[in-house]
Amino acid sequence: MNKNNLILYIGILSFGIAAPFLFPAFKVQLSILCVLIILATTWNIQGGEMGYNSFGNILFYGLGMYLCASVQVGMFFPLAEWTESGGEKTFVHTPAQFFQGMAVGLLVAAVVPTIVAGLIGYSILGLRGHYFAICTLGLGVAAGEISGGIEIIGAGQGFTTPPFPDVGNLESRGEFFYFLSFIVLILTFIAVRGIYSTRFKLILNAIRDNEDKAEAMGIQTMKYKIVGWMISAFFCGLAGGIMGGLVGYIDSTDVAFDGREMGVFMVLMAILGGKGTLWGPIIGATVFHIFKEGFWTFFLGWQYVALGVLIVVIVIYFPEGIMGWLREKYPERFGEVVDEKDRKAQVELK
Amino acid sequence: MKINKIIVSFISAAVILLSTSVVSFAKVVGDKIVLGAAISLTGKYSSNGVHTQNGYNMAVDRINSMGGVKVGGKTYKFDIIYYDDESNPKRAAQLAERLISQDGVEFMLGPYSSGLTKAIAPVTEKYGVPMVEANGASRSLFTKGYKYLFAVLAPANLYLDVAIDLAVEKNNGKPVTVAMAFEQDAFSQDVRLGVLEAIERTGSKQVIDDKLPKELNDMAATLVKVKQMKPDVLVVSGHTKGALTAIRQISEMKVDVPMLAMTHCDAAKLSKQHGKNSQYALCASQWHKTLTYKDDFFKDGMTYDADFTKEFGYAPPYQAAESSAALLVFKDAFERANSFDQKKVRDALAATNMQTFYGNIKFAEGGQNVDKPMVLFQVMCDDGGKCENKVVAPTKWASAKLIHPIPSWSQR
Repeated sequence: MNKNNLILYIGILSFGIAAPFLFPAFKVQLSILCVLIILATTWNIQGGEMGYNSFGNILFYGLGMYLCASVQVGMFFPLAEWTESGGEKTFVHTPAQFFQGMAVGLLVAAVVPTIVAGLIGYSILGLRGHYFAICTLGLGVAAGEISGGIEIIGAGQGFTTPPFPDVGNLESRGEFFYFLSFIVLILTFIAVRGIYSTRFKLILNAIRDNEDKAEAMGIQTMKYKIVGWMISAFFCGLAGGIMGGLVGYIDSTDVAFDGREMGVFMVLMAILGGKGTLWGPIIGATVFHIFKEGFWTFFLGWQYVALGVLIVVIVIYFPEGIMGWLREKYPERFGEVVDEKDRKAQVELK
Repeated sequence: MKINKIIVSFISAAVILLSTSVVSFAKVVGDKIVLGAAISLTGKYSSNGVHTQNGYNMAVDRINSMGGVKVGGKTYKFDIIYYDDESNPKRAAQLAERLISQDGVEFMLGPYSSGLTKAIAPVTEKYGVPMVEANGASRSLFTKGYKYLFAVLAPANLYLDVAIDLAVEKNNGKPVTVAMAFEQDAFSQDVRLGVLEAIERTGSKQVIDDKLPKELNDMAATLVKVKQMKPDVLVVSGHTKGALTAIRQISEMKVDVPMLAMTHCDAAKLSKQHGKNSQYALCASQWHKTLTYKDDFFKDGMTYDADFTKEFGYAPPYQAAESSAALLVFKDAFERANSFDQKKVRDALAATNMQTFYGNIKFAEGGQNVDKPMVLFQVMCDDGGKCENKVVAPTKWASAKLIHPIPSWSQR
């Protein structure tokens, strides 16, 4: 790691730690930003590096959300009575119960989706191109409908997650969820950065560029595809678990298996920032979130039109995303050697 | 790596944007009491969201023009900050947080639908922000021990149980067979529980119990079953879209059923949109213009109906009426508390006991209004095809006699 890099990382880290105190009113938005970055970054493993456009990552996110909340409640109280809609009883978590439950819940929320990703991946990662995209699109929709029929997790009534216990002051809840999501974001970043510096990334790229050739070279592509998806599932599950606690209410199709919003947003963010790069999804998610919050404030009623325009602009002017655009403009800054003669020749051709 | 510079500049741009978007309001600015509300202006609840917003606006204008709110010898006017929650609970919870922590709102009005209210209530509760809501009827809202939540409407399980009782009564006290089709959302599922209780109480039998998807556009499968099983009562609940879909497909498929009980008929403007096809549908309603409640601001139901129609160009469904009532409750509570202290206002709200054009309002421990019964109306059409909603139950308010059983399609 060179010196510039170190300064950058320390800068971002200290900004991340200071952010909730610098902008105390924006803690929730900042936490959501962290979750969005996690989702975009993990989607990029499939969509960007591996060339498999997955709409199914929302499955792991929703699964994590339901699992975390269920474990958090189920460890201490009967889950069925908690979610029963006409229930007369009120259960209250003590602070110790809440945090213990959250910790175990997050663990389960990470592990189970990983296993599920392995199982599903084994059966559907054989599909390619559009077929894979459509199939994964179905996964999220199906999961939403199925979970909307399971009584023990509240079915159509939804699931109210345990309220934050009475510790500290009014700000504690926001700070807790912010730092939780920030820590998971850092873990995700370290993990993904680590992966991208190994042969694993090259194999994913090989799959993207020509899967048959990669296979002919002796790479067991299926194995790598599954492992890649499991890594995404692990962090998506964690992100979902945190989001469930942050929102406080889980609805099967609108909050958990929210393919229409989160499922599409994660793709958009990665494309906006530049898929197939480490920093692209992060920049994309940040820009997207800021624009979105801005539109929601200043274009009330027209926010989706504004968002639509943004998407059109991205597709037309930045088809390779912000990072891709920058790379084209300043290739030397990305460590690419540019032949001046060649560039001049191109300019003349135009 | 020069790329770092680019990234750093992006982050600083983000920071600048974030900091400039801080717009601060206070709860009481000058002579204004600022209330906050997340409303579904887009998404699947958008039509009812607009009814809610119109109801709020109508009451704000009326109260402001009639002298405003008097607190501590000073006169204040209501003002509302709206955001669009897109009919999405996640968004609603975020917006509640935003209204309270960024906009500094200290008093909230409810969103439309039980699911969204469920998402907002934990937030308002955490900050101790009193919320008067007019459109979250799910019973589970009132069993969570919320202290700052007040609902001017009767809970959802009371919507259609009366219909089952009515069917049993018409069947000479003998049990009936019931077919049920409910959307998978917090409100409709609660209506279902109420119906199930009524079925159990009367010893009746459920023959169909279907869950319908959100964004309800098709329930043909259920109706085919209804045609086969020939139940005595068909109960459908799925907000506005559910009501429209049910009437459209029942008339298309010529499904004969002696009693059809639904919710949201008036919000869906059924009698206007489907005319004679919607005839005989029995609908649960929180309010009807012919009820004889009175207050100083809107006088009575008929006047409210006329004023609202003049202002917004359509007859007010109960969603609008109850939303207007929420502001009357707030005004009353502010004046009794004679303060803007959140705790005092909350206590004043809890002690509310008043009559509005919409009905009596008195809150139980859990925050639900216990002093206002539901009414059932039936869509009735004259020969010219002009349809009207007429209250048929309870008998105290009835302005017409229930037509039962519904004549078969071949005789209509």
